[in-house]
Amino acid sequence: MEKTPKNIFFEGPIPAQKIADDIQKHASKKDIGAHSIFLGQVREDQIGDGQVAAIDYTCYQEMALEKMHQIRESLFSKYALTCMHVHHSLGRVAVGEICLFVFVSSKHRQAAIEACTELVESIKKELPIWGKEILNNQASVWKQNQ
Amino acid sequence: MELLIFGSLTDIIGTDKLVLENPLDTELLKASLLKKYPSLEQTNYFLALNKIMVQEKKPLQEGDVVALMPAFSGG
Repeated sequence: MEKTPKNIFFEGPIPAQKIADDIQKHASKKDIGAHSIFLGQVREDQIGDGQVAAIDYTCYQEMALEKMHQIRESLFSKYALTCMHVHHSLGRVAVGEICLFVFVSSKHRQAAIEACTELVESIKKELPIWGKEILNNQASVWKQNQ
Repeated sequence: MELLIFGSLTDIIGTDKLVLENPLDTELLKASLLKKYPSLEQTNYFLALNKIMVQEKKPLQEGDVVALMPAFSGG
């Protein structure tokens, strides 16, 4: 039977403490020489006469996890990685809070840095996730990725 | 068949899930949705059949799950 894909979804904002704890957890993996971390933060964009106050994230979870599993497999075969962790928020994340935490580790820096960049691009392009920007004037707008 | 609706399309269709009498194929499904929800015409969306993106006409069977998805905006 196929392995169940790892869950990447995290309810609400990702606390800074989790990021610190996850770094600490890797101290026991002594073949790692480099971590590359990407953090996505909710930005206070101006939209019309309102400002973004938060983003509400929804997803097609089953499809997103399957797709994430394929992305993971392809990056592991392309780069010499030790490990890869992805956490994406669901539900409401306020301005200034973290909504995406990507953590890639390898023996040497180049693999971690390149795989991390490629992974973030794939997450944005290929995962069925949608953000609804909640404005401070009661309006809301479906987010569009640049 | 079951129709899952995501993102901005939930505003147009007014729900995130519909159970439909099986249309014969994905093109007939799109045509019947467009008839019922004309503002779909102004929206670009993708269709996934049982979690696989489909671009061409595919036959639909009992138990299929079709998802209507606008452009992704994660991260």
